[in-house]
Amino acid sequence: MPLELTGITKKFGSREAVSGVSLRAEDGEFVVLLGPSGCGKSTLLRIIAGLEISDAGSIRLAGADVTQREARDRDIAMVFQSYALYPHMNIAQNIGYPLRVRKRPPAEIDAEVKNVAARLGLTSLLANLPRQLSGGERQRVALARAIIRRPKAFLMDEPLSNLDARLRVEMRAELKHLQHELRIVTIYVTHDQAEAMTLAHRIAVMRDGKIQQFDTPSNVYHRPANTFVAQFVGSPSMNLIEKPDGILGVRPEDVQLSQVEQPDWSPARVYVTEEMGNETIVIISDGSTNITARAPAGMKLDFDARIWYRFRPEKLHWFDPSTRSRRIE
Amino acid sequence: MKRRVPEGFWWVLPALVVLVSLSIYPLIYSVKLSLSNPGNFSRLFSDRLFAAAGVQTIVLTAAALTVEFLLGLALAVLIDSLARGRAFFRTGLLVPMLLPPVVAAVAWRLIYNPQFGMLNGMLRQIGFNTEWLTWTSGQNSALASVILVDVWEWTPFLFLLLSAGLQAIPPEPLEAARIDGAGAWRIFRDVTLPLLKPTILLALLLRAMDLVRIFDQIFILTQGGPGTATETVSLYIYRTAFRFSNFGYAAAMSFVLLAATMLFSRGLMRVMRSR
Amino acid sequence: MKTALKYLAASIAFIVAIAPVYWLITISLKREVDQFAYPPQWAGFVVTLEHYKEAFGSSSFSAYFLNSVLLAGISTSAALLIGVPAAYGLARFEWPANWGDRIGDWILSTRMLPPIVTIVPLFLMLREARLLNSLVGLSIVYTAFNLPFVVWMMRGFFDEVPREIEEAAMLDGESRVGALLRIVLPLVKPGLAATAVFCLVVAWNEFLFALILTQTEAAMTLPVGIASRVTQYEIKWGAMSAAGVVAMLPVLVFASAAQKYLVRGLSLGAVKG
Repeated sequence: MPLELTGITKKFGSREAVSGVSLRAEDGEFVVLLGPSGCGKSTLLRIIAGLEISDAGSIRLAGADVTQREARDRDIAMVFQSYALYPHMNIAQNIGYPLRVRKRPPAEIDAEVKNVAARLGLTSLLANLPRQLSGGERQRVALARAIIRRPKAFLMDEPLSNLDARLRVEMRAELKHLQHELRIVTIYVTHDQAEAMTLAHRIAVMRDGKIQQFDTPSNVYHRPANTFVAQFVGSPSMNLIEKPDGILGVRPEDVQLSQVEQPDWSPARVYVTEEMGNETIVIISDGSTNITARAPAGMKLDFDARIWYRFRPEKLHWFDPSTRSRRIE
Repeated sequence: MKRRVPEGFWWVLPALVVLVSLSIYPLIYSVKLSLSNPGNFSRLFSDRLFAAAGVQTIVLTAAALTVEFLLGLALAVLIDSLARGRAFFRTGLLVPMLLPPVVAAVAWRLIYNPQFGMLNGMLRQIGFNTEWLTWTSGQNSALASVILVDVWEWTPFLFLLLSAGLQAIPPEPLEAARIDGAGAWRIFRDVTLPLLKPTILLALLLRAMDLVRIFDQIFILTQGGPGTATETVSLYIYRTAFRFSNFGYAAAMSFVLLAATMLFSRGLMRVMRSR
Repeated sequence: MKTALKYLAASIAFIVAIAPVYWLITISLKREVDQFAYPPQWAGFVVTLEHYKEAFGSSSFSAYFLNSVLLAGISTSAALLIGVPAAYGLARFEWPANWGDRIGDWILSTRMLPPIVTIVPLFLMLREARLLNSLVGLSIVYTAFNLPFVVWMMRGFFDEVPREIEEAAMLDGESRVGALLRIVLPLVKPGLAATAVFCLVVAWNEFLFALILTQTEAAMTLPVGIASRVTQYEIKWGAMSAAGVVAMLPVLVFASAAQKYLVRGLSLGAVKG
């Protein structure tokens, strides 16, 4: 079921939280809305869910216009950042609630709940209350509740950000696998660019209510549409250097370093090094600007040591200084 | 370093002294009083007036509590759902509760006066025959009239507490229910009410505690009359102690009241501890 | 459409809540002939201040008013003076075997005693001590009345102040008492003010104790003064409602000042309003 947004705009007071957003997510696609806090991604998600009504624009799900429909009539499921489980109901009742509301026979609900619980490894927890579960377990319950009724679309609002780092990575993989199995179009909101890169079929990078770029992770990474996208995606951030004829962007891994002088390479001094174990982040200074580079783990560099650097010629990004957009070659 | 007496004790001591001498000592004194005549306690069982007072107190408490709760809940939900002007309505709705109960009772006496009062006046204007509407002066209608005043005065209390309880409910489970497909009534029944339960319990217990010992309004409105139609336990105790100067028996009766209040306050403490 | 109905319902409730009060005010301002006129006059009547003049001029209502003011002020100050340190003691110090909570609960339970239970002994006790019909006697009783409330409320507020702040002050050389006075109290000022307001309102509105413990004109409080007029044969409604209006004004003012903490105070701190 494709999900199509056209010209969605939403204002809060005088501030435009979402500004003329249009995008189309194909059936079974995993789309990530990526951006810093305040960029409008959560508001956009809530508009798609029906929790807020947009001031302008339309939403079409599986060909039908749902713009004015109540949340409960849109056949969309949502996973909240705080899981939003019903605190007074046990896990089985939580998962089964969407079916209970639709007045399905108890026997059927029971079977479906067991089915979904088994799929997410929750069978032993069905009689417990939410407060007795760990964060990761609650997360899975929220997921179970979302998938039980096979909605036309999934919405997820930073579902992993309340989990600790290791669990987050684990759940990321599970989520991706699950979505692939279910093949339901998914809109996922996050501010974590690593999450976006690993999960998405396509990423919509947002800023100040507008979509900056809507493309595959690979393209967003290798062909960022403007300096904002260039610096938001990829860690450590892309280096942006003001040149007389434009802004030059170079990713740290595309900065080559040598402790020995090389022909046509530029001289610099080591500003600071961060040893990460598998690699070393080196910040060098050419006198006026700092440039971040990635170096292999073994490289031993002292403060203020002399070093030579060069940018890989095929990996240069040029941006227009006034529009900050990518220069089309 | 071991201290025999916790350091905080000295800070608390003055308060304990005051309370013991003015709350606990009188209580013990009261026991002595009631035991001064051993017949006091057995009299409780045969005293028809006491039984009647008890019944009236229970009826009043149950009726007032029910109406105040339902109205208070309805108002809480209503005001909460308004987009603007919440503060305005809330301020107005709280006025009855803030007045000195004596003043509220005076106002209602004026309103209830069968010949010259505002209520019968207004009803006559729309064409009602108010001959039978004797409100607080009528044997059969007095208790109901008193209940009405209490409802007017204290529904705001329940409204306020339930309102605060409603606002304390996190919005996410409610949004999840919306997305899961539940309509407004279903959400209220399945999610809001269960989550509101502790606050409801608290509010009911607090109000019940105050209702069983109701005195001020009835004193002004009817003095317990006509006859003893609105004589609640508190008023009967007052009459026994200060009209008939039978302090011993009054003390004995007040223990019954104390027992009832203790039941409620025990429940209250339990609810508060569990939060 | 649904919204319009909601606002209509809210408005009706609002009017029902305010109407009796408004009516009382009109009675206090109407001439005697108009007070019980039919049909009832809600507006457009001749306004007169004669009842106010009578109540507070020739009648003793100004004496009652003064008594109420003094009583409320004295008992509230005393309750705060004794209760705040008690609350601090419970909140801040180490107590063995949960005694801190137990004492706190016990103090709170005295608040739940029905006044009628203690009133007979208190009446007799005060009579013996010759403190009946005196401001002093009543103040003592009211202080005991308000004390549990002060302790309970202030304890909650003290609990919200992180301990580290006083610990830092004491490391800097401050004494315990000094830390309380100079560091903590300024931080809980709004809570303290709200508690004071509650005590003032309770003392101001109180009726039963005042009724029984003061029988002479000189000692009566405002509520008792009003009530004594009611039980008379010929009730001067004008003067009485004037007194009633004056009686309710301070409360309304105070209540709006303490609005933020209204819920917390009314529910004994159980619901954070």
